[in-house]
Amino acid sequence: MSKLWDLSHIQPNSAVVLPGDTITAMFWNAVEERGPMVWLRQKHLGIWQSWTWDQTGQAVREIAGGLLSLGFARGETASILANTVVEWVWADLAILSCAGVSNGIYPTDAASQVHYLCEDSRTGILFVEDDEQLDKALEVRAALPGLRKIVVFDMEGLASLDDPDVISLADLRAIGQRYLNQHPDALPGRIGACRPQDLAILVYTSGTTGKPKGAMHRHEGLVYTVRGFNTLIAQDEHDERMCFLPLCHIAERMGGEYFALYTGTRLNFVENPQTVPENVREIAPTVFTAVPRVWEKFYSGVMITLKESSRLQQAAYAWAIGVGSAIADRVLARQSVNGWLRIKFQLAQWLVLNNVRKLIGIHRARFLVTGAAPISPDLVRWYLALGVPMLEVWGMTETCGASTGVPATLMKPGSIGPAAGFNEVRVDPATGELLVRGKNVFVGYLNLPEKTAETIDADGWLHTGDVGVMDADGYFRITDRMKDVIITAGGKNITPSELENDLKFSPYITDAVVIGDKRAYLTVIVMIDQENVEKFAQDQDVAFSNYASLTRAPEVQALIQKELDRVNQKFARVEQIKKFFLLENQLTAEDEELTPTMKLKRKLVEQKYAAQIDAMYR
Amino acid sequence: MSSIAITDQPVLTLQNIESAYGPIKAIRGVSLQVRRGEIATVLGSNGAGKTTILKTISGIIDPRKGSIEFKGVDITARDPAQIVRLGLSHVPEGREVFALLSVHDNLLMGAYTRSDRDGVARDMEAVYGYFPILRERAHQDAGLLSGGQQQMLSISRALMAQPDLILLDEPSLGLSPKLTKEIFEIVVRINRERGTTILLVEQNANMALNASDFGYVLENGRIVMQDTCANLREKEDIKEFYLGLKDDGVRGERRWKKKKTWR
Repeated sequence: MSKLWDLSHIQPNSAVVLPGDTITAMFWNAVEERGPMVWLRQKHLGIWQSWTWDQTGQAVREIAGGLLSLGFARGETASILANTVVEWVWADLAILSCAGVSNGIYPTDAASQVHYLCEDSRTGILFVEDDEQLDKALEVRAALPGLRKIVVFDMEGLASLDDPDVISLADLRAIGQRYLNQHPDALPGRIGACRPQDLAILVYTSGTTGKPKGAMHRHEGLVYTVRGFNTLIAQDEHDERMCFLPLCHIAERMGGEYFALYTGTRLNFVENPQTVPENVREIAPTVFTAVPRVWEKFYSGVMITLKESSRLQQAAYAWAIGVGSAIADRVLARQSVNGWLRIKFQLAQWLVLNNVRKLIGIHRARFLVTGAAPISPDLVRWYLALGVPMLEVWGMTETCGASTGVPATLMKPGSIGPAAGFNEVRVDPATGELLVRGKNVFVGYLNLPEKTAETIDADGWLHTGDVGVMDADGYFRITDRMKDVIITAGGKNITPSELENDLKFSPYITDAVVIGDKRAYLTVIVMIDQENVEKFAQDQDVAFSNYASLTRAPEVQALIQKELDRVNQKFARVEQIKKFFLLENQLTAEDEELTPTMKLKRKLVEQKYAAQIDAMYR
Repeated sequence: MSSIAITDQPVLTLQNIESAYGPIKAIRGVSLQVRRGEIATVLGSNGAGKTTILKTISGIIDPRKGSIEFKGVDITARDPAQIVRLGLSHVPEGREVFALLSVHDNLLMGAYTRSDRDGVARDMEAVYGYFPILRERAHQDAGLLSGGQQQMLSISRALMAQPDLILLDEPSLGLSPKLTKEIFEIVVRINRERGTTILLVEQNANMALNASDFGYVLENGRIVMQDTCANLREKEDIKEFYLGLKDDGVRGERRWKKKKTWR
């Protein structure tokens, strides 16, 4: 393991490993086939609990029975407002088993957003995680006449709640069991009635501009895509995955839940979004998909540990990562790795790299997958130098997750790989926009036929909004989001994401938004990495009290300037960033400036900080 | 009553103080300023590091890092006795009166560093003026006083050194709300009448914010918020987490906590 020069263990699997042409049928076939094997794992009071396929089937059956007893109709929508927990998966599969439509709502959404999403999706039944999420639903239920019942996963603190519209999951399951005893044919009938062309899930796009749009996916598209995933990033029942990104996001829904459902890979749930680093080490996933922000965080965590270590350790790290990089370079250049280098790598692993991998929790990882946002090629190279292949995939809600992917046989950091075998991808010769066509492409936005028509053209090509190029090997490279391209007052076209990704590679910078459309020069809004900058400030004896004063400290400003200078070197004069501004508030997922996946919303940030931006042009 | 205006000049400045108990870092880079004539307060929950800050200032603990300046003199890790002579008195958490000495002798212990007998006598009178009960009990052993009286004695003992700055560590500890209120009133009087600068550390946020001019909020050994007390009282996080003023939500009984954002 961990030999970058021999990645023969990553083999595509194009066989159908699980029959079923709907997610529902697939699930019940999986219960049948894999019965006593463990599928889901989650901690309760600090101790790992497991659910076999049989137990999952039992839970899903009871919840589905409960839904039927509530009169949940075929094609009706139920929504789930919860963090990534086992019950989310149960509720989702129960809704699909009733031939219903399942919709996820981000737990960080405010009550008003919950209202919009329930109304737009015509939600009849809403699953909520706990009292906190319940309060959001109760706040807006008067304005949601279609909402019939709210089901609460965790009733802690709600013992005295007496509300006819609210029921606990446990009670729903008990009712469901009784209902199914009386109507033994009801659920099998529903499961059988579920057809491939039925609408299965709604995935609301985060809506960086305007209201979120509900992307509709049918069973056939989902099934087609998970089968396709196995030809791109194959996994099986021996693999362990960590389930931690929001399940309402397409990445975890498809790549986590449904892909694991198809392949039998175990899903290990994190305790909560804050415990991810600890949980990775505990779970030590063998296949690990995450967003760049997570990879950046791991990297900067290692950098911090390194700074606190002894000179000898630092020297050992520098040597080991040098050996790893040399190997990565040779592998990327498709050159062989000679025996001497292999021996050196063995030593480097033993001395340093194994420990670094263990520190992160990727010591068992066969490969890593990154997607959902652009990643710095330097960061990919760093993971390769550790000896772990990192494969970038590219896709979006509308393509049902990954649409292109870098194969292990020929990795190219900075590239998103060739089109996955299950869909066509091409560059629009006129605009440079990437177009996707295939069964994985969504069927449209709910209630928005004209938006759908704008997105999918008459020939069935999805207009992704990403601008890219294709090289001789058929590999694509994204240059930017179409809407984000900056044209400076001097008429120069700038692709901000290149600059931004290079900035984000700095351990001191979490996110950045480059500004400069119709302006004389480029500027940037920077969100600092609190932990690392605090550490820097303390090491340098910089006085600061709270977050805002940290961002104002002249030494911190100089630090960010230095990072900016480093990035500017790589670019031509007109593409260089002249000034920057540090966000003074520490942002959380609840803030409007961030998407639920913790990316800065460009348009919103540009509007909200208009005054500060203008100040940079004075 | 002569009220002494607060000046912008800091009497005490902490720069990036880090203190630890063995391997456990109690404060992790604290910078704060106390301006002459003001009452400044550090709010924080159990274990936030409030007491550690005061102990570090008065020299009982030596910081791992950072510097402390008092009246323009660097007092980082100086001997506590020297620091007292510079005009900085510490009223420790839990009072720490000399139980077997009389109230009067306790007060004289406070004036140990002074040689101006007239001044000491004057201050003794002043102290008895603030806390008449101490005069009544002057010849009793301090150990026989009630908790509230011991707190009064502890504050008075600090005053006897004629300090420029008093560090006051949780005066409300174990006292009834009424007594707490009385003691805070006198603390404010001492500040206004004598111009003594006070750095107050409290868990009772409501009392502390009422009495003080400027406040810092300490969490996990780090300052997360600083502002005038009037402004602090209006902050959402202070209301919810320190003053217990939360809206009860739609159900009328909210149990879950919002996330702190400190803005």
